[in-house]
Amino acid sequence: MAQNKFLSAVKEKWNDNSIADPLYFKRSLQSVLFKIFAASLILGMCFSILYPLIKLFPMVFGNIEELGNPDVVWVPINYSLISFQAAIRLCYGKFVIVLQSLLYAAVTAGIQVMICAMAGYVLGRIKIPFRNLLFALVIFTFVVPPQSLLISQYLRFKQFDILGIFQLFTGGTVDLINNPATLYLLSLFGFGLKQSLFIFIFRQFFMGLPAELEEAALIDGCGFYKTYFKIALPNAVPSIMTVSILSFVWNYGDTYYTGYFHPEGPYIAMKLSQTFAATNSNNVITAVQTWYDAPAASSFAFDAVKQAAVLIYLVPLLIVYFLVQKKLVENFERSGIVG
Amino acid sequence: MTSENNNKVHKKLTYSTTQKINGMVFMLPWIIGFLLFFLIPMINTIIYSFHVVGVKDTGGMEMTWSGIQNYIDLFNTEVSSASQQFARVFADENMNIIVNTPLIVIFSLFSALLINANYKGREVVRVIFFLPIVLGLSLVTTLVTTTGGEVTAITAEVTNESGFLMRMLMSNTFLPRDAITYVVDIVSNISSIISKAGVQTLIYLAGLQSINPSLYEVAKIEGATTYEVFWKITFPMLSNVTIFAFVYSFVDLFLASTISNEIYRFAFTRNNIGVGSALSVVYMVNVLVALVLMLFILTRVVKLDNGSK
Repeated sequence: MAQNKFLSAVKEKWNDNSIADPLYFKRSLQSVLFKIFAASLILGMCFSILYPLIKLFPMVFGNIEELGNPDVVWVPINYSLISFQAAIRLCYGKFVIVLQSLLYAAVTAGIQVMICAMAGYVLGRIKIPFRNLLFALVIFTFVVPPQSLLISQYLRFKQFDILGIFQLFTGGTVDLINNPATLYLLSLFGFGLKQSLFIFIFRQFFMGLPAELEEAALIDGCGFYKTYFKIALPNAVPSIMTVSILSFVWNYGDTYYTGYFHPEGPYIAMKLSQTFAATNSNNVITAVQTWYDAPAASSFAFDAVKQAAVLIYLVPLLIVYFLVQKKLVENFERSGIVG
Repeated sequence: MTSENNNKVHKKLTYSTTQKINGMVFMLPWIIGFLLFFLIPMINTIIYSFHVVGVKDTGGMEMTWSGIQNYIDLFNTEVSSASQQFARVFADENMNIIVNTPLIVIFSLFSALLINANYKGREVVRVIFFLPIVLGLSLVTTLVTTTGGEVTAITAEVTNESGFLMRMLMSNTFLPRDAITYVVDIVSNISSIISKAGVQTLIYLAGLQSINPSLYEVAKIEGATTYEVFWKITFPMLSNVTIFAFVYSFVDLFLASTISNEIYRFAFTRNNIGVGSALSVVYMVNVLVALVLMLFILTRVVKLDNGSK
């Protein structure tokens, strides 16, 4: 039936000479070949990105006592969800910690976007004195590895004071280590996780904004702030979204800043890295053995639970990204300007 | 800003001064942060690098001036965790990074074009191309690794694959052997390139989205081919992003290199803050010199788009 339909379609084309026409034939052949080429390219690249995740499949869904079987490459022999149950019981509890981490990441991302957009706008568009020097300094702060500043920053927060003001009023410095305020302070002053990078992104985007927009705003009587909030920011939606996503992901997965400045805080990334540290592997294995009555669970079981925990950890990130990616490709609102 | 020139000098002055004042207000948080959280720690690190740093009995820090002894030690006596001289480590890392940076940038531009195109299911493809950023979190990379016996199987697979490419190129082309090994190396490294191109791809995607669609309409009406549209519109409009992508890939490779791990190792596991700080200083000078050189070449090749006509 389908074949007949196809044949009749070909016949019809043949009759109105469109297939027999060599130019038409060449064009359609080209387009079909190009589509096949592009599709295989995209599929191939997707596969190579997904490969490390696909590789986890037999580990995570396999029976926890039969892991490490060399016969199993892609499809486990017996399925079970024990790895996931163990991961939830070990790290996630009632998922409150995930919500707390997400909230922290969202708030930090908000602060960072606000501060970096302001700095990036000035560096990209406003002719302030020493602009190029300031920009060079921004890149410089990005180049310096955070490790080499750590000790000094830690000591600064241990005895926090601004120009001796606190000392004057309360008679002592404030210990800000293990206080979430430290992390927000760092973000607020532009030195959170990879924040100079975000300033750089915003600067590059604001630089590309057409000057006509600003001129029009000026003629219409917009001041500095009105131009920034009504013209510059609405036109920078793709870059704002990009920076928010990056900031959100990096803060959600950060163990470095949270680990040093707020080590007892509720951060899922830190919880995971503590639970699944190599030194803790025996505890995890014993827990799995006793909870799920699986005396044969080996070090492979540790890997399986660890990987199941990572997969759960990734889910909120992917959901957020999927929701936001439409915004990411929203087009510029500048179609009103000609050329 | 050019239209300003026609206005009275008096008016222009006030406008630009208010711009400057407001601009400084916007920059203020960053400048305060720079002084508090960056400059002071930075100066401390430089000071440490000229001292022997120890811990006092009372708990504070004890420093004895040692001139450039730390730097001499770094290059003469100290070795990295792979038992290599530091001069060798620096040379290798620089070479590696200079070769890989352009590859990553080209690859990320290419992937951004792929996920920007219009086809069915591109939302899913976009999420997949976003994965390298998430999988690149140091937490995830350490947790995803399997400590069991799978490692040997994967390496066997990869050598097999590049062996096929090697044989095909050897028997069908007459390229010199060195060139072929180079190509094969890149191909077998593709997964590491993909894993490092996530951020750049995302930035390129945002850059593609900020190109004025009317430019494409004009090109279409004028009868430009896809090839011309790419080189005459897309690529020049992305020049700002390209500069960013180069700098980012470059610095990111440096931050992920063995050298920055060595800094950490010196300060915390070997408890030798002096030599560790000397290493940080040498490392920063190295990155800055390389970066300035790269920007010097780039700004001559890529024409900057300043948004002005």
